[in-house]
Amino acid sequence: MSDKKKAFPTLTRRGLLKGGAAVAGGLVGLGGFPYINRLAVRAQETPLKFWQFYAPGGPVASQVAWFEKTVADWNDSHPQKIELEFIPNSEYISGPKLATAFASGEGPDIFIISPGDFLRYYNGGVLKDLTPFIDETAKADFPESVIANRMVDGKIFGIPMEVEPMAMYYSVKAFEEAGLNENDVPKTWEELLEVAKKLTTPERFGVMFETQPGYYQNFTWYPFLWQGGGEFQTADGKSSFDSPATVQALKFWQDAINGGVAPRQIMGAGGHDTIANLASGYVAMQNVGIWGISQLQSNAKDFQYGVFRLPTPPNGKYVTVGGGWAFVANAKGRNSDAAGEFCAWALASKEQGSIDRVATWCTKGKSDMPPRNSALKAGGAAFSTGMIGKFAEEIHPGTRAEPRVPPEVYKIISDAIQQTQLGGADPQATATSASQQLDAFLSGYQGAPIL
Amino acid sequence: MTTIAETAARRRHAGRTRLSARHREWIAGYLFVLPDALGLLVFLGVPMALSLVLSVFEVNGFGGYSFVGAKNYLRMWNDPLFWKGATVTALYAIMLVPLLYTCGLGLALLVQRTDRFNAVMRSMFFAPHMVSLVVVALVWQFMVVDKIGVISRLTAALGIGGFSFLGDPNFALITIVLVSVWFLMGFYMLIFLGGLQDIPRQYYEAAMIDGAGAIARFWFITLPLLKPTSFFVIMVSMVAAVAGAQAFDIIYVMTKGGPANATSVLIVYIYQQAFGFGAFGYAAAMASILVVVLMIVTAVFFALTRGGRFNHEQ
Repeated sequence: MSDKKKAFPTLTRRGLLKGGAAVAGGLVGLGGFPYINRLAVRAQETPLKFWQFYAPGGPVASQVAWFEKTVADWNDSHPQKIELEFIPNSEYISGPKLATAFASGEGPDIFIISPGDFLRYYNGGVLKDLTPFIDETAKADFPESVIANRMVDGKIFGIPMEVEPMAMYYSVKAFEEAGLNENDVPKTWEELLEVAKKLTTPERFGVMFETQPGYYQNFTWYPFLWQGGGEFQTADGKSSFDSPATVQALKFWQDAINGGVAPRQIMGAGGHDTIANLASGYVAMQNVGIWGISQLQSNAKDFQYGVFRLPTPPNGKYVTVGGGWAFVANAKGRNSDAAGEFCAWALASKEQGSIDRVATWCTKGKSDMPPRNSALKAGGAAFSTGMIGKFAEEIHPGTRAEPRVPPEVYKIISDAIQQTQLGGADPQATATSASQQLDAFLSGYQGAPIL
Repeated sequence: MTTIAETAARRRHAGRTRLSARHREWIAGYLFVLPDALGLLVFLGVPMALSLVLSVFEVNGFGGYSFVGAKNYLRMWNDPLFWKGATVTALYAIMLVPLLYTCGLGLALLVQRTDRFNAVMRSMFFAPHMVSLVVVALVWQFMVVDKIGVISRLTAALGIGGFSFLGDPNFALITIVLVSVWFLMGFYMLIFLGGLQDIPRQYYEAAMIDGAGAIARFWFITLPLLKPTSFFVIMVSMVAAVAGAQAFDIIYVMTKGGPANATSVLIVYIYQQAFGFGAFGYAAAMASILVVVLMIVTAVFFALTRGGRFNHEQ
């Protein structure tokens, strides 16, 4: 019996604990320390990481296909490989993913940013100067109004992939139900509110402006500020927010809410979502960008709609805002030169492939205006017919680039919009208060110029 | 003559008996607690300490740190949005905690009998807790949307419509509170059920013989004997109101802190400062103050209620 015990020792509690401790120690020793583990991985030839949010299975299949082809074409012809990483949209835009990655020194090598985020990353010192990788002729191909808000001291830190001007979309069915047609499309703010009133029913709002606080709401409000000649800062960097133009723009959005013709709460993913708001019949007119064309084309093919340019205030001048994302390279990345070269190769090379790539993104991936003159030509009829043609001819010529502002400035303007639009605050008092806050911030601001 | 093996066995035996049974039990108790304590230390204690350290630095979010002393705390004092966030948090807690207590206890009393119907009802009341908070927020957002949401239509049919649940600063926080209660009340119902089952039936039988009615039995038997459970529920729901997952997730998805900062509770503002603006130092300072205030409130409540102990307990 005792011999048997020796040959097959029973499992004791102590034995189990000892064994467990040994296994855990072994695991920790082999790979439990993330830093050591990471060093081992880094020693290998790892591909550069390219973060963006056009994920497989997204609403528009051609968008992810464009990204995949761009990276595949680069990998076929370059030794430094690149790998796409898809970050969920909510994590990426105003989400924690990029912020935590950079805070821990693990930011992606290549990523995309909007003008609203530009200063944060530039002032943080992580944007690579892409100028050395861009040919002079290619640089001249980008209109000043498109590239300016990605430049500091004459150097390019981001290459735009699209220009997305804002406009008004309307439902043909809603217009017909209200006895209206395309000749009734409003041209002034006053007309817009009148038409919206006619379109409003117990189950539908006449017009919609973004109501959720965020960079996007500010972006959509800027043209209404500019149309009356307003700005948020003077040329010498002081606040000019306390102006009749600001008050007028704040009051316009407030009037739309108070008049009961615009919703306080929007549907779906937000004010940029045409399917959940316009196509669903929740609103009859929607303030949204050029991307609405591809959204409706992909997800509501039978929906009849029209587009018109933003109405203007009394004595105002037509202007709209053009947003859009840009490729940027991480200056502190593993191979920032290759990352910078990739950005230029993809979007800003004088090669025909680069020009066609931009044109393809703006016509097949999305429905955008191209940021390059040559891509506008390469797109041919795609930019002169249909809804995009309307944008190219009527809406885009009045486009002004989306301002780049630090987060603090964004927040002050955002609060002013929210307080007046939904909080019922007095527009004049709000503009004065916001202007004082802006002055307090701008007087101590150190960083790249706010544009 | 003894063998070497026998000597070794005797020594092992002697080593084992050196500790008294009480000491061995004492050590075993701590060993059982150790893994949890280590987890709390590593995943809660250390980050809290790091957050406290971070709060005296200005952090640019890109690896740049500079010591600023109490600057972040002074900034907080002069930041109207911090005070707005503190006010909204206090209002949220003041509305949420009593409602959760009442609904949780009410549901528990309704379904405390153990029959098949009540078992189904318990599952149904607890079901919202099994769903992702993001899904809960999206569904409710859709139900209360202006004009066409099912609840908006219902209130309009009852003649009390015409307002926006989430788009009007006067109603947005109340709506968030009601959604939070709907989500959490099943959990607190379960805790109260546990407390109710601990109350001996004989007390009720004796009271009934003495002619006590339902209200008297609830007031003089149920409520006093639920004191430890009540303490636990109030403590946990208070922490949930100030820093719970639902306080962030539901608000972030449904309103993003709007309209006009009406639902901007402190943890949403802290998140915005840290991840939206890259002000990690300032966010850490606010988080530290929030924790300290929560600890003080907890301690005061603990002292006032003697930790939920009965009067006869020491």
